[in-house]
Amino acid sequence: MDTIHAKIENIREKMMQELGSAGNSESLQALRVRYLGKKGELTQMLRSLGNLPPEKRPAAGQALNQLRQEIEAALDARALLIAREEDEAREATDFVDVTLPPRGRGWGGFHPVVQTMNEIIDIFVGMGFSVAYGPEIEDDFHNFEALNIPPHHPARDMQDTFYLDNGRLLRTHTSPVEVRAMLRWGAPLRIIVPGKVYRRDSDQTHSPMFHQLEGLLIDEDVSLADLKGCLNTFVGAIFGRPLDSRFRASYFPFTEPSLEMDVECFACSGRNPSCRICKGTGWLEILGCGMTHPNVLRYGGIDPDRYNGFAWGMGPDRVAMLKYGLTDLRVLFEGHGSFLTGGGY
Amino acid sequence: MRISWKWLNEFCKIPLSPEEAAERLTVTGCEVENIERPCSALKGLVVGKIERLQIHPERPDLFVAEVDLGGPRAQCVTAARNLREGDTVPYGAPGSVIADGTVLGKRTFDSVVSVGMMLSAEEIGLPGIADEFGILRLPAHLTAGEDLLKALNLDDCILEISITPNRGDLLSLMGLARECYGVIEGSTLEKHELKLPRIGDPGSISWEGVTLEDPGCPLYGLSFAPSVQIGPSPMETRIRLAFSGIRSINNIVDATNYIMLVTGQPLHAFDLDRLPAREITVRGAREGERFRTLDGQDHTLAEGDLLITSGGIPVALAGVMGGENSEITAETKSVAFESAFFEPLRVSRTARRLGMGTEASYRFSRGVDPSRVLPTLSCLYEYLLKEAAQHHLEENVRVVSTRSWEKRRISLTRRKMHRVLLWDDLEQASKILQKLDLREISATDEKRVFEIPTSRADLSIEEDLIEEVGRLRGYESVPSRIPPLLHGTGRVGEEVEAHRKIRVAAMSRGFLEIVTYSFINPKWVEWLRIPETDPRSRGFRLTNPISQEQSLMRTTLLPGLLQALQTNLRSGWKDPIRLFEVGRVFLPGEEGEDHRESLRMAGVSWNGKERRVLHETSLKDDVLSIKADVMALCGSRGQIPGFSTGHEPFGHAGQTAQVSLEGKPCGYLTSIKPGILRELEIPGPVFAFELEIESLLPEKGFRFGQVVRYPAVYRDISLIAPVNRPAASVEEDLRRLGGTLLRELVLFDVYQGPGIPEGTRSLAFSLAYGDPARTLRDEEVDAVHEQLRLNLSAKGYVLR
Ligand SMILES: [Zn+2]
Repeated sequence: MDTIHAKIENIREKMMQELGSAGNSESLQALRVRYLGKKGELTQMLRSLGNLPPEKRPAAGQALNQLRQEIEAALDARALLIAREEDEAREATDFVDVTLPPRGRGWGGFHPVVQTMNEIIDIFVGMGFSVAYGPEIEDDFHNFEALNIPPHHPARDMQDTFYLDNGRLLRTHTSPVEVRAMLRWGAPLRIIVPGKVYRRDSDQTHSPMFHQLEGLLIDEDVSLADLKGCLNTFVGAIFGRPLDSRFRASYFPFTEPSLEMDVECFACSGRNPSCRICKGTGWLEILGCGMTHPNVLRYGGIDPDRYNGFAWGMGPDRVAMLKYGLTDLRVLFEGHGSFLTGGGY
Repeated sequence: MRISWKWLNEFCKIPLSPEEAAERLTVTGCEVENIERPCSALKGLVVGKIERLQIHPERPDLFVAEVDLGGPRAQCVTAARNLREGDTVPYGAPGSVIADGTVLGKRTFDSVVSVGMMLSAEEIGLPGIADEFGILRLPAHLTAGEDLLKALNLDDCILEISITPNRGDLLSLMGLARECYGVIEGSTLEKHELKLPRIGDPGSISWEGVTLEDPGCPLYGLSFAPSVQIGPSPMETRIRLAFSGIRSINNIVDATNYIMLVTGQPLHAFDLDRLPAREITVRGAREGERFRTLDGQDHTLAEGDLLITSGGIPVALAGVMGGENSEITAETKSVAFESAFFEPLRVSRTARRLGMGTEASYRFSRGVDPSRVLPTLSCLYEYLLKEAAQHHLEENVRVVSTRSWEKRRISLTRRKMHRVLLWDDLEQASKILQKLDLREISATDEKRVFEIPTSRADLSIEEDLIEEVGRLRGYESVPSRIPPLLHGTGRVGEEVEAHRKIRVAAMSRGFLEIVTYSFINPKWVEWLRIPETDPRSRGFRLTNPISQEQSLMRTTLLPGLLQALQTNLRSGWKDPIRLFEVGRVFLPGEEGEDHRESLRMAGVSWNGKERRVLHETSLKDDVLSIKADVMALCGSRGQIPGFSTGHEPFGHAGQTAQVSLEGKPCGYLTSIKPGILRELEIPGPVFAFELEIESLLPEKGFRFGQVVRYPAVYRDISLIAPVNRPAASVEEDLRRLGGTLLRELVLFDVYQGPGIPEGTRSLAFSLAYGDPARTLRDEEVDAVHEQLRLNLSAKGYVLR
């Protein structure tokens, strides 16, 4: 009996020693075959158990099985270790410089005005305004007459108009949609009208095509206070913080009273007399607005005694330029990749 | 309008600095755009008197003057030839500064020392006040040694005011003074009485009469100066005109302009002797009638223009400009002055059509005050009486009038004022309005009625009065509140939603968003080879474009995108670039429609120029990669587009697809014709697509598929089909013939070449068979697959 137990001890000792020097998965596999394979040492010993006297078989069998389990566990543990070491070695050589340029296509890019227009739309939709549209090719009636601008009126000089060979014109503002919307939906009404408008004017700060966003609210008992509230809220939202505003008297044929809204220069708050953005005035002209003229309500089929309202028109191009610090309006419509991508692509 | 601050203060004393007043005027509606100090550069200039004037001892072209400076004297050398002993002149001592910033000093001209300088009008910064070449000669009453700026009132500033078209009443000192009195607390209005002239037949000349034939002129006054002495205006007038931006001509023309600046009523002076007859008739012009104005321009008149005629011959374009035939010249001996009311819209139409924006037409277009038409002739009379020149003036004025002006009455109610301003103090409101010369004629607790001065043609309804109250009180006094949401929530709407989803999808796929002009160069129709039969060749043209390059309304978005591409290439862009735009195109209308505006989404892709970069090939686009983009864009709206072989005039004949949604064509996908790209100098290829957003408006509710629990069994099939047979139609056959177990099929190989008959190609598909309820056995699948092969053979396909 001693011989078999001595043999077991012997194998255990030898195995553990060899295991310690098995450095990779191949030598480990060889070790596994040598001890546990079909012709492995342990397997042969188990087979030779039959040669032992019956009363010694259980003890020897038990000892052998225990050894087998020990070896398996040791081999597995060692295998795990080796696999990890080997993975680490492989990963160390399989190196990718992540600072190399990416493959495939990246994000394109947005146009500042379209982006700004969408932001403005969301702000007003949040205040209960719905989006309405109208044609860019308009007729004289909707663009001028229904807005209280009769033919030859000097107010027409304020908006130099493009005419088309079909007798129509390109709308000079988004205001014609006011009357169209009133006729279509009646009062009460709460709409915004984003879109392109056209004036015969071209220099650094004027483009023959630009964008406008018109707003119109008609209800019973509307006050200038409502107009101020809506527009102050808008300014705070678009520029990211509440800004001081002032309302100056002005003139538009289709509103009465008419006002212009200036906001505090967000760059200098009026503290820099040589500020490039506000030219030292401390104020930025941002939009024209006013209470809808009763004549316009009448053209829209709305009773001006029962209902009144307010309207405004703003230039998203200018808002975008202020937001993104742009100086030349015309480059907005030339599609320069270098401009729109901020220099890279 | 340019207004002299000092002059304005003669009409209304303003207790503020010009800057403070400008701020207040701006907030109340008269935007002061700039405050200019025209003589602020001048330093140390004084008045001098020439004591002695001699010819330079060595240089006969120069003079040596001894100038009295009120005690001290200075010797000056000058080349000016207009001086005499006793003349009063502007003088700058060494160290003083003239308009262009030059610091004066001493100079020696051939051994004669010149200390400082006598100055010309230009050197003091007012070239417009010169009445002759040389040194500016000043009024004799000025004292030697006096500060020049003070003596001539040059220490003034000019307010540049932008006046809105409704406020014609502000185009005069008197009108602006009234406004300042209304808006500036503590200011005092200086009385400037307007009195009617003496009306009657002129005794000193023979005059036949005035006839008003056209209702466009309901009031016409003429005054006379039987004898005048033409010469330069007094210095003060010349300076004030220069400050007001008006060129000095001669004392008679200047007088009319000067008085116009005061009262706002334009005047016109005729050379009485040059009038064809001693009568004036105002009539409408005949279509095509010709007339030469005093600026030497010939005009073709139209019906509706108003003419002043004399003896049947036109002598002035009413309210716009006088005629060359009767203008005041240096030889004029006698003058007739016209002051009239012309209908604003008539003058406005003529002036706009002829492009003649004159001081007169500007004021008449905005409406002059009818009550000032005749008193202005009195002002002129008094002005000319005071002028130093020797004129003989006739006091009687000839007047013809066909209309009278009632003062309008407008009521202001507590209810409406409160509705707009949230303020209802009628008593205060009335005080505010009275400062603007509105007279309260009745008052109750709920309503006040006001009589409106004829100068304020802009005030016609109650809202106008509310505006006056609002702006004078200050809009800052109106609170700010957010209107409550009483009628439902705001909706962005389908169009915005579709636009947003599609643009984000495009940007995610590397497209750069651009916005281009809606008007294009009409040559694009030709460049893109769009035939006349194509509605896209029939875009609308602008009749008054800024340039030919921007004169045709686009009928497709492609030109803008290609032009942007050109712009980028010309500026040296080399990288691959993908651009897209969402915008409207403008097409001729169909059946009764005026025109059609269609919102489009279009994109182009260019693969970049030879450039050494990593992974270059992985970014190369072709028609099929753009097809994936189009599918993704439609997918963002839950829609699956169909593609079929298409044709576009600008598209590669073999690489153009028609895109459709729900079987309805909605756009194209193409590779631009190589010939077109060559002409556009774009190294090809360029891929492009254009879709109608309208087709993408209905967002399809997304349908989810069945959950697959039992794995599919795969079989391949490879068949030969004619080259011109679209893969989609082969797929359709496979689907139709594949039986109910065919779950999915994928085309994985297309081959054309050796081993395959000419005119055919081989298509290989991987087919997935499956049953939702169980795993299929191989034998079952083999049977189904074999059946499909038989069906395909029967259909005429050659199987490999
Ligand atoms: Zn600033």
